[in-house]
Amino acid sequence: MPYEPSPMAFRSSPSQSIFKKKSSQTLSPMTSATSYLSALSQADARARAASRSPTSTPALSLSSSVTGSSEDTVLDDTVMDNKDGLLLPVRPPTSEQVFDTVHTEFGHCGNEEFRYTSQHTPGEPVEGHVEKDPPYYILLSTYISYLILICIGHVRDFVGKRVHPARYRHLMPYNGYAPLTSDFDSFYTRRLKQRMDQCFSQPVTGVAGRTILCLDRYSPDYNHTQILTGGRTRALNISSYNYLGFAQGRGGCADAVEESIKRYGISTCGSRLEGGTCDLHTISEALVARFVGMEDALISSMGFATNSTFIPALVEKGCLVISDELNHASIRFGVRISGASVRMFKHNDMRSLEKLLREVISQGQPKTHRPWKKILLIVEGLYSMEGTLVNLPAIIELKKKYKFYLFVDEAHSIGALGPHGRGVHDYFHINPRSIDVLMGTFTKSFGAAGGYIAGNKALIDRLRLRGHSGAYAESMTPPVLTQVVASMASIMGVGLPSSIKPSSTAMTVCAANGEHYQHPGPAPPSMLPAWMALPPRLASGEEGWNRLRRLAFNSRYLALGLIKLGFITYGSPASPIVPLLLFNPGKMNMFHRLMKDRQTPIVVVVVAYPATALVTSRVRFCVSAAHTKEDIDTVLRACDEVGDILDLKHGIPKSERWTVDELVSRAVELVNAPQ
Amino acid sequence: MSTTMSTSSTSSLEPLFAFLSYSLATAESAFYRLPGSAVIVRYVKSSHQNDPGRTLLELILIIFAIRTLLQSRTRTDKQQKHFIEFNEKEIDELVADWNPEPLTQPLSAEDQADIACVPIISGPTGPKPRLVVPNSPSPSKPVINLATYNPTGLAGSEYLKSRAISTLRKYGLGSCGPTGFYGMIDVHLELEKAIAGFLGADAAILYAQALSTVASVIPAFCKRGDLVLADRHASFAIRKGLEISRATVRWYEHNDLASLEEVMMGIERDERRRARRRGCLSSLTRMLGLTHKRMQAKYIVTEGIFERDGAMVDLPKLVELKNKYKYRLILDESMSFGTVGRTGRGLTELYNVPATKVDMIVGSVANALGTGGGFCAGAEAVVAHQRINAPASVFSASLPALLAVAATEAINILSASPSILESLHENARAARAALDKIDGIEIPSHPASAVIHVCLKPSFWGWREPATDEGTPTLSSPGLLHPSSASALVPPALSKSTSSKSTSSKSGHSLPSYSSSVSPTSQVYPPPSAEQIAFEESILQEIADEALGQGVLVVRARRLRGQEVNEPRASLKLCVSGGQAATGAYGGEPGGGGLSKKEIEKACSVLKSAIGKVASRRR
Ligand SMILES: Cc1ncc(COP(=O)(O)O)c(C=O)c1O
Repeated sequence: MPYEPSPMAFRSSPSQSIFKKKSSQTLSPMTSATSYLSALSQADARARAASRSPTSTPALSLSSSVTGSSEDTVLDDTVMDNKDGLLLPVRPPTSEQVFDTVHTEFGHCGNEEFRYTSQHTPGEPVEGHVEKDPPYYILLSTYISYLILICIGHVRDFVGKRVHPARYRHLMPYNGYAPLTSDFDSFYTRRLKQRMDQCFSQPVTGVAGRTILCLDRYSPDYNHTQILTGGRTRALNISSYNYLGFAQGRGGCADAVEESIKRYGISTCGSRLEGGTCDLHTISEALVARFVGMEDALISSMGFATNSTFIPALVEKGCLVISDELNHASIRFGVRISGASVRMFKHNDMRSLEKLLREVISQGQPKTHRPWKKILLIVEGLYSMEGTLVNLPAIIELKKKYKFYLFVDEAHSIGALGPHGRGVHDYFHINPRSIDVLMGTFTKSFGAAGGYIAGNKALIDRLRLRGHSGAYAESMTPPVLTQVVASMASIMGVGLPSSIKPSSTAMTVCAANGEHYQHPGPAPPSMLPAWMALPPRLASGEEGWNRLRRLAFNSRYLALGLIKLGFITYGSPASPIVPLLLFNPGKMNMFHRLMKDRQTPIVVVVVAYPATALVTSRVRFCVSAAHTKEDIDTVLRACDEVGDILDLKHGIPKSERWTVDELVSRAVELVNAPQ
Repeated sequence: MSTTMSTSSTSSLEPLFAFLSYSLATAESAFYRLPGSAVIVRYVKSSHQNDPGRTLLELILIIFAIRTLLQSRTRTDKQQKHFIEFNEKEIDELVADWNPEPLTQPLSAEDQADIACVPIISGPTGPKPRLVVPNSPSPSKPVINLATYNPTGLAGSEYLKSRAISTLRKYGLGSCGPTGFYGMIDVHLELEKAIAGFLGADAAILYAQALSTVASVIPAFCKRGDLVLADRHASFAIRKGLEISRATVRWYEHNDLASLEEVMMGIERDERRRARRRGCLSSLTRMLGLTHKRMQAKYIVTEGIFERDGAMVDLPKLVELKNKYKYRLILDESMSFGTVGRTGRGLTELYNVPATKVDMIVGSVANALGTGGGFCAGAEAVVAHQRINAPASVFSASLPALLAVAATEAINILSASPSILESLHENARAARAALDKIDGIEIPSHPASAVIHVCLKPSFWGWREPATDEGTPTLSSPGLLHPSSASALVPPALSKSTSSKSTSSKSGHSLPSYSSSVSPTSQVYPPPSAEQIAFEESILQEIADEALGQGVLVVRARRLRGQEVNEPRASLKLCVSGGQAATGAYGGEPGGGGLSKKEIEKACSVLKSAIGKVASRRR
C-alpha cells in the first residue's frame, strides 16, 4: 500500500520548517557536512543507477511517508553541526547499502561483521550472580565517604534547624499537621541524593533513540531548583531501554502508527471489559501469544500495572510466592496486595532457592503447617540493575521436582535476548510452555508502552476477568497497540511458515536441540491488521534479524570491552544491560559529568542505594541495536579516560588488559572468542 | 542481651578482653536468631577481612541502614517456635507427597458467558462505533455508544489526531525509560503545567496509567502508623492503595460526611485520652532515643464522583471538616475531572473551591481527555515528593509523548470552549430526565454526573433474599431517594463565599441542597448478597443485550466479584457524551463530537423498552 505524504504530519511542527531554512543557510560553512553530503548524493546516484527495483529506496532516504529528501535521514536537527560526531555516520554508505533510518535515531551500520547471535551454548554452565570485589581501599573510602556524608548531613540538619527554621518547616509539624515526610525519612533524599540531582530526571526532547536531546539546565542553589536554560545538547544515548532501537519517529513502524491514528483515533476510551476493547486488541494479543510461543496472551496499558494488577489474580491467601530478592518493585507491589505469603531467596542463587523450597514445602503454612495451596516462583528474565540472566535451565529442573509454578518477568529480556528475540527461554533453547506465566513489557525492546501476560488459555481468560486491569484500567491505546504489532511483526517476519527468512541459520541451531524448543516461525499475514503494510525490509524479518544481531554484538562488545579495559562489571555478556561498578558515591556525580561534558556527550544512568546495595553504586549502560560499533567505541574510549581519572579499573590484572586502541581494532575477535 | 549479661558476670574475673569477646559472641548468636540477620551476617562476612577498624565502620553503617530500613520494612517472622526439624529423607518424602492446586481452575459457564459478552469495537470508537460480530467478517451497523467514556466528545477529533501524528514524528512512540532516567520529555512537563494551570494548583505530576495513579499516590504519603479515613465505598484503586500503604485505615459511611465527622471526633477523643495516659513514659523513652518521635499524619481519601455509583461528595463541607480536624485530603477526581464544572475543571470548579484547598487532587487523563494516564496535582512539595516516592512514577516508563500532547491539546480545547461541557451537561440532564421515568430501576448517581449508574429495584424484579429472618430488604425505603431535580448541575452557593459564587452559577437552575443535615446523596442499603448480585447482573446483562439488539451499546459495570471488600451493587454504567457544539478558538471538531441530545433521548427510550421487555419476560 503506498503511503501518502501526511498533510498533517508537520503542519504544526514549526521546528521542522525552521530546520529547512537553517540547514540551507548553514550548509556551506560546514565542510564535513558538505563533503558528507556530496558523498551521499554520489552514493545515491550510484544506487539509483544500479537498481531500478521499486523496493530499493535511495540511499539514506527517509521513510516514504515524509519526503524523499536524503538530507532528512541524517540532518534532522535545527543546528547542522557535527562537531560532536553524532549526526553523521563515520563512513558514508556504499552503493549497496540502503539505510532507511534516521542516523540520530537508529545508527547506520552496514558491516556484517558487527553482528552476533544471542544464545546460550548448550552444556555451558550458567553463571549465577558473581559479585566481584574491589580492592580494600576502595571499599574503605566508600564507607568513609558515606560516613562523612551522613555526618555532614546530620550536622547541617542540626545547625540548619536552629539557624534557618523556616527552611525546615516542611519537615516539622506545622500548624497541627504532620510533615509530609519526616526529616528522618527524607534524610537520604535531602542530604545524599540531592547532591547528585544533576544525574537524575534530566528533561529531554525528541526520540529516545541512538542519541537524545537533553534540555540544558543548571541549578543556582545546590540542586534545590533546576532551571532550564533553553539550550539543547545532543548526546549519545546509552541509557534508554531502547534495546532493539524501535524508538523511532520515522520508519515502517512509525508509518503504521500514523495510519492507525488516522483509522482508530487516539484512544478506545474505556476499560477492556466495558467497551474499551477494539479489534486491534484481539489482533495484538494473538500476535503476542504467537511471539512468545504461548497459547494465549493479554495486554495491559502499563508494564508496572501488569505485575501489580495481575499477580493478585494468580495467588491468594494460603499460597506462597517465592521471589528473587532483587525482583522489581512492581512484582513486590502485586505480591503484597495479593495476600499471599512471600519468601525471598538470594539473587539468582539456585542453592539458596532449593534450600528454601525444601524448607517451605516441608514446613507448610506458618503455624498451621497445612500444605501450601500452591507455590509460585517469580523471577525476572534479565535483572535490570545487575544484568544477570536468570538461571532458567536450573529452575526448570527444580520445577520438575518441587512442583511450583513459574512466573518469569521478561520486561527486559523480551526482544533483547535469544536468537529470535523471544527472551530468556529462547536464549536457553527452552520450550516456553514449560513456563507457566510469561510476563513482559513493551516499553523496552518494542519502543511502545504497556505490558503483557501470556500463558494457557484458561489462565489468561481468568486473568481477563479477575485481574484488576480488565474492569478498572484504561485499555491500551490504538497507536501503542500498532507499535507493538508492527515492531513485533518485524522481529518475527511476516510470511507463511514455509517461507524462508534470514534467521533460518539460527533456527537450525535450535533444531539441533529440537526436543527443547520448537521455534514458532514467522507471523502469518492473516494475523496482522489488513490495513497494515510493512515495508519489505520489515516484513521479511530481515530488519528485525539485523537488529537482534546488532544488539547482541553491541552488548557483548561493550561488556567484554569494559572487562578488557580493567573495569569491574556485573552480569552476563549477553545482557544489553551492562553495569559498571563505581563504588564510591562521589564518583557517580563525577562520572556522569565527565561523560556528559565530552566533545561527544554521552548520557549515562548512575544508580546507588536504595536501588542497589549501599557500596555497589554503579553506572548502568543500556546498549541498543541502534548503536553502531563506532558508538560503542566512543563509549569505551570515554570510559577508558574517565576510568583512569576516577581510578575505576580494579578488574582483571594490568597484564591481561588491552589498550583501548587494541580493543577497538580487535572488537570482532573479542566478541566472537569463545568464553 | 540479659542472658549475655548474666552469663558473663560469672566470668568477671577473667580479663576484660575475654569478657568482651564472649559477650560479643553471645550477642552474635542472638543476632543470628533475629529475623533478617542472615543477610546482614553474610554481608559483614563477605567484606570483613580481619580488620577490626573496617568492621567497626561497617557496623556503624549497618546501624544507620537498619534504622532506615526499620522505617519501611515489615519483619516477616520466621516462626521459629513453629519450626519442625526434618531430615533430608523426610523432606524428600514431603516434597513428593505435596500436591499443589492447579494454577487456575477451568472457567465456569458463568465466566465464559462473562467473557463472551464483552463488546469489541471494530475500527474507531466514538459516539457511534461499529461492533465486531462474532463469526462474521463484517462489522455491525453503527450503534449508539453509551458504554465508553467520551464525555467531551474528543475521541476522533481530527485536530487531536494531527497533533498526535506530528508528535509521533518528532518523539517516536515510547519514552523508553522512567522519568528519572531520561524518560522525562518536555511534553510531559508541558502537560503537567497545563493540568496544574487548568485546575489552579501549583504543580502536577503525570502517571502512565490512571488506575495506578491513586494506588501509588496513597502509599507515597500514607505510611505505617499514619491514619487514613476513607469512604466505605471508595473505588477499587483507592482500596489497593490503602492496602499497600500499611497505614491505619478507618472507614466512614459512604458519602456521609456526618459519619466522617463522627469518626474524626472519636479519633480526637482517643488521642486526648492516650496523650494523658502516655504522659511521662513516652517522654522518657523519647529522651533515651528509643522511640522515634514521628507525628502521625492524617489523611482523608475519597472520590469526587464515586466510581461505584456516581454519587458526588460535598466538597465545601469536606474541606471545612478537613481543615477543622487538620487532615490532608486526597481527592480522586478520576470521574469528575473533565466532566463537571463549567469548563470541566472538576469538583473544585463546580463548588468554587480553590484547588489549593485540596492537598492532592488525583485525576485521570484517560477518561475525560481521551488519551491515557493519570495525574496528581497539589503543592510543589507534594509533587516533588511523589517524583521520588510514588512507585508507579519511579519504577515505570513515562507516558508516550503523543498521548501527553493530545491531552495538553484537549485541555486547551476544554478551557477555550465551554460549550463542550455545556452540551455534556445538557445531555446528562436529558438522559436523567428520561431515565427517571423508567419503572423498576433506581439511580444512585448524582444528577451532574456524566456517568449514570442504573441499578435495579430488587422488589420490582421479584428478588427475595433466600431464607433470612430480616424480612424484605429495606431497599425501597424512601431514604433511597435519587435527587428528583435533574437540573441540579450547579451546587448550592456556599454560605461563606457567596460573592464569587454567582459568577459560576450562570444559569438560573434551582439547586438542591447538599448540606449534611439533609440525607445526602449517599445511600444506606444492606450489602447485597452474592446471590442477589448474580440475580441482578443476569437481568442487567439481559437488558444490555436487548438494548444492543436495538442499536444501543450499554454495558454492565464490571466488578471483581469476590475481590471487592464491600460489594458494590450491580449496575448498568451509562456514559453520556457531549461536545457536539464545539466551536471556538479551535474551530469545530471534525471527526469528534459526542451524541446529540436527540440521540441520547432515543437511546434512553430504547433502554426503556429493553427494560420493559425484560421485565415482562422476567416477572
Ligand atoms: C522487571 C520489570 N517489570 C516491570 C517493569 C515495569 O514496566 P513499565 O516501565 O512498562 O511500567 C519494569 C520496568 O522497569 C521492570 O524492570
